[in-house]
Amino acid sequence: MTKTKQNSVLEFFKQNLVLCGIVVLIIVTAIAEPKFLGAANLNNVLRQLGPLPFAALGMTFVIIAGFIDLSIVGIISLVGVITVGLIDPLGQGGALLVGILLGAFLGWLNGLVLTTCGAMTQAEVLFITYGMSSIYMALALIYTQSETLRLAKSEKSYSIFTTLGSKNLGIIPVVLILFIVILVLMHLFLRKTIWGRAISLLGGNKDAAYLVGFNVKSTMRLAYTINGLMSGLASIALLSRVTTATATSGTNYETNAILCVVVGGTTLKGGKGSVLRTMLGVVLITLLGNCMNMLGLSTYMQTVMRGTVLVVAIWLDNRKEL
Amino acid sequence: MEKTTDYILEVKDICKYFPGVKALDHVSLSIPFGVVYGIVGENGAGKSTLMKILSGVYEKDEGTVIFNGETIEHTTPIQALRRGLSIIYQEFNLVNTMTVGENIFLGRFWENKGMRGTHKKARELLDSIGSTISTYSLVGDLSASEMQMVEIAKALSFDSKLIIMDEPSSSLTSEELKKLGIIINQLRDRGVSVIYISHKLDEIFEYCNIVTIMRDGCVIDTKPVEELTRSDMIAKMVGRTIENEYPPRAHFVGEPLLEVRNLNTHKLHDINFTLHKGEILGLVGLVGAGRTEIIRALYGADKVKGHEVILEGKPVKIPTPKQAKQAGMALVPEDRKREGLILPFSVESNITMASLEDLTHMGIVDSSKEADIGKRQIEALAIKTPTPETKVVTLSGGNQQKCIVGRWMERNPKILILDEPTRGIDVGAKFEIYVLMNKIVEAGGAIIMISSELPEVLNMSNRVLVICDGRITGEFNPEEASATDIMDKAIG
Amino acid sequence: MNAKANVNKVWKVISKQKAVIAIIALMVMMLFSDTTFYTAYNWLDMLRSTAVLEIVAFGVTVAVICGGCDLSVGGTLCLGGILAVMMVNNGYPIWLAFVVALLSGAVVGFINGFLVVHQKTEPFIITLGMGMLLKGICQQLTDAHPLTCTSLDFMQIANKKFFGGIPSLVVYMLILFILFFCLLRFTSFGRNCYAIGGNYEVAKYSGIKVVPIKWTAFVISGVTATLAGVLLASRMNTGSSVYGDTTGMLVNCGVVIGGTSFAGGVGGIVESFIGLFVIQLLTNCMNQLGISGYAQTLCEGILIVLIIGADCFGRKLKRERV
Repeated sequence: MTKTKQNSVLEFFKQNLVLCGIVVLIIVTAIAEPKFLGAANLNNVLRQLGPLPFAALGMTFVIIAGFIDLSIVGIISLVGVITVGLIDPLGQGGALLVGILLGAFLGWLNGLVLTTCGAMTQAEVLFITYGMSSIYMALALIYTQSETLRLAKSEKSYSIFTTLGSKNLGIIPVVLILFIVILVLMHLFLRKTIWGRAISLLGGNKDAAYLVGFNVKSTMRLAYTINGLMSGLASIALLSRVTTATATSGTNYETNAILCVVVGGTTLKGGKGSVLRTMLGVVLITLLGNCMNMLGLSTYMQTVMRGTVLVVAIWLDNRKEL
Repeated sequence: MEKTTDYILEVKDICKYFPGVKALDHVSLSIPFGVVYGIVGENGAGKSTLMKILSGVYEKDEGTVIFNGETIEHTTPIQALRRGLSIIYQEFNLVNTMTVGENIFLGRFWENKGMRGTHKKARELLDSIGSTISTYSLVGDLSASEMQMVEIAKALSFDSKLIIMDEPSSSLTSEELKKLGIIINQLRDRGVSVIYISHKLDEIFEYCNIVTIMRDGCVIDTKPVEELTRSDMIAKMVGRTIENEYPPRAHFVGEPLLEVRNLNTHKLHDINFTLHKGEILGLVGLVGAGRTEIIRALYGADKVKGHEVILEGKPVKIPTPKQAKQAGMALVPEDRKREGLILPFSVESNITMASLEDLTHMGIVDSSKEADIGKRQIEALAIKTPTPETKVVTLSGGNQQKCIVGRWMERNPKILILDEPTRGIDVGAKFEIYVLMNKIVEAGGAIIMISSELPEVLNMSNRVLVICDGRITGEFNPEEASATDIMDKAIG
Repeated sequence: MNAKANVNKVWKVISKQKAVIAIIALMVMMLFSDTTFYTAYNWLDMLRSTAVLEIVAFGVTVAVICGGCDLSVGGTLCLGGILAVMMVNNGYPIWLAFVVALLSGAVVGFINGFLVVHQKTEPFIITLGMGMLLKGICQQLTDAHPLTCTSLDFMQIANKKFFGGIPSLVVYMLILFILFFCLLRFTSFGRNCYAIGGNYEVAKYSGIKVVPIKWTAFVISGVTATLAGVLLASRMNTGSSVYGDTTGMLVNCGVVIGGTSFAGGVGGIVESFIGLFVIQLLTNCMNQLGISGYAQTLCEGILIVLIIGADCFGRKLKRERV
């Protein structure tokens, strides 16, 4: 009896490794650096969450479908610069809308290219989306001519962006509230709608899903479109926070997004995963960064940490059986 | 070396168990030097298992193997090769991206002092069996018969004393087959023994000296080929006692339901057949004859050159499985794990995945109805699972298969296609699946069943179509036809 | 029938020699332009500019032929350069700097090999993570500042000219080219690599020691990447963590463009050389024609998508044969 109890406790830890990691991290850092739990730092952490959760959320869908997407670097960069550029001609509402839709369109385009050439393995998908990313980035470069675009230079009002970027509702940043709403919606989308289910089934076994009558190609395009849409939102969140956009502002978001997804426990083999788990991954990675900051470690050590965590997470994921 | 024995290979009382199955049951063979030794048997008679044990891919559970006077306990494929026992499989063991010469000396590049020596030695070997293939051509560009030559040359490069050929003729044209015959004779004259495994009895009579007939993992008979007739042999291959392992045959055949005309693909030629309401139609043929291809093409899973499908009097187009499903078809595929199940998913989601669309309102899946379906099918089919949330990968083969059947039962399909529905399933679960099939036809559905187990087809179906080399070569009433007749057509 | 067979044959040659055709097309195009493209100086310069990437590609090719992939080479290259410069600046002899740098590459390769070959992880994303980890280490080592080398001798290594005008980098590249060519062509190690990539099971059953050989291939890839890194550092007279950002993807893409497939077992050093050279040639042509750097990035992206997409498309046609 005690043995089964022991086992179930062990099982709980195994299932919620990330959650445990977060708790341990908070306790250890709080002891080492009491300022960690101060209101100022907490607000800082919440703000640091910023664009990454959006990107990781989108990436979760692509990874659950059994693929990968490196093009979000290009999408985030291109959407950012185009949005800033459109504030004057279209007004801020129009620019925002076009920006987000552009993200979705670019994601759909990825899906279209991939399904047209029949890319099915992770290797094929990886390199083609990398190529797409270069294309988007180049378009952003051509558009900006390497200039930094500033919100402050717009002639029209850009209050939506400043609200998103710096206003709080209570102690919670507006952008975080927006994110939580979207997170809940996307969670329901993945779990409750037939399209979300199709994405999971596709990642579980493409052949079986096909023989049961799911349209593999359109499901694949859907996953990429969602990722594009979320990247568009990430781009808007980033733009709001830093108030500038450059043709390279999306750099490193792809690896960080993949990192959060994998750390959260969504397997790279596809099929299994959850957007909520990804959020745990985001929180863990952001907290870890914050802790390292508080403890006075350089930002470079954070890159080392992220790389190590990514490698170890993939390794452990691979060792897990089904 | 002095010969201590007359036999190159002696196998005594070999047994091999797989979970739930006895694949080999006290098999004994003695193969003299310099003979061509035929082994015949139906699909699943245990021939391939025996060969895999000899070559070291599987471990034997009981028995002894004596090769060239040496008792062999454990062996690995490479050790077997170095001792002088080569196997040429149906799927060739060649690296398609490398040249012929290098494939012959794979992993032994410097034994011949580099590339030039390798090709020179390979040339000599190929010349010795009268083959003119360039040693510099890529194996991937060769025809099946040329690949076989390469495999034979590779076997000879190890100075093999025994070469096992597993279904060597399955991908050869008649011209190529003649060549193979000449080479086999050459090998015998050199003192090399050949084990020749084939379904095709003509070849056995033409090439072999001694024949062993296997069935259900047992050796049924071993005789010099002169003492056997074709009909003897077929009788011994199929003649098993039919036990009471099948439910009584269903008789619900009604009017025509589905008509397929001029189905052609690169492997199928002019397939025409009709399926009736309430009918169980058996498709029989050897592995690779095109049975699975027919149903995949019909189901829209493979592309076709052209065909007409008439369902309930109306022509329908089925370009993808989606349309097939909408037209009321359902497919239980051959490879359960690769094409049927989503292994890391729960029993429930594996069952409901085909019905999700029906449970969806405005895109939202009704999860309470989903749970109902899961429970209902688990109950209806008596699927043994702890909970509906249990991962399907943990279930036994029979219960996994029932999950796939249950997935389609929920939709009351008009046409249920079963590809090897009882493969790897224990006897009890088999019976349950047979009963289920009868229930489906009783309710007015029709079933197309592919099976390699002849007795199963003979006992379950209302009509049998025999497929050979992508063509329908015979149609039988299983109540009148004998297994021998059917086998005769399937062998072609 | 015959005409059709011929068309098929021509199509097969075209699809196999995509890179060569791209080179010829570019060269023909340049015939009609009034530039300095067809001068010995320009071609030597092209070879020199591409030398570092080519050297990295030689090592990566070995891993890819074995059926692997190494996206961490960007980070490895960085690390090699920085370690060498640090050693030399601290007064150690140059040969020792080389040894230490190459050893670091061997260690990275060994870890990659452990994860990919021994633990059977999919190589793509895990080596990407490894690259990120190494990048962080490089930033930490240099504090993200370029590290100028104080030794003139070290700088001389890659900036000398041999035989009255041939840049030393080109000479090194050619020596390594011959070395790797022989390794893959004339040694049993090389031939076994092809067998492992071509058909892992068959290679195993033929008595080839698949794990150690594939593992060694990853070590080789790491070592050549650091060698290239040291040469790059010598050429620029700096070790910097900004080098090699796109190297990993670019080199792997170049290798595939040349005709070495991620499925393994095909391709070779000549193919990889050509594949990388196409990218250089494209850049050079556009430079000569005065096309902006942004448009060049665009063309690079399009080239990658087109060639890798065509590769996938070929496999798709094969899969869906009627």
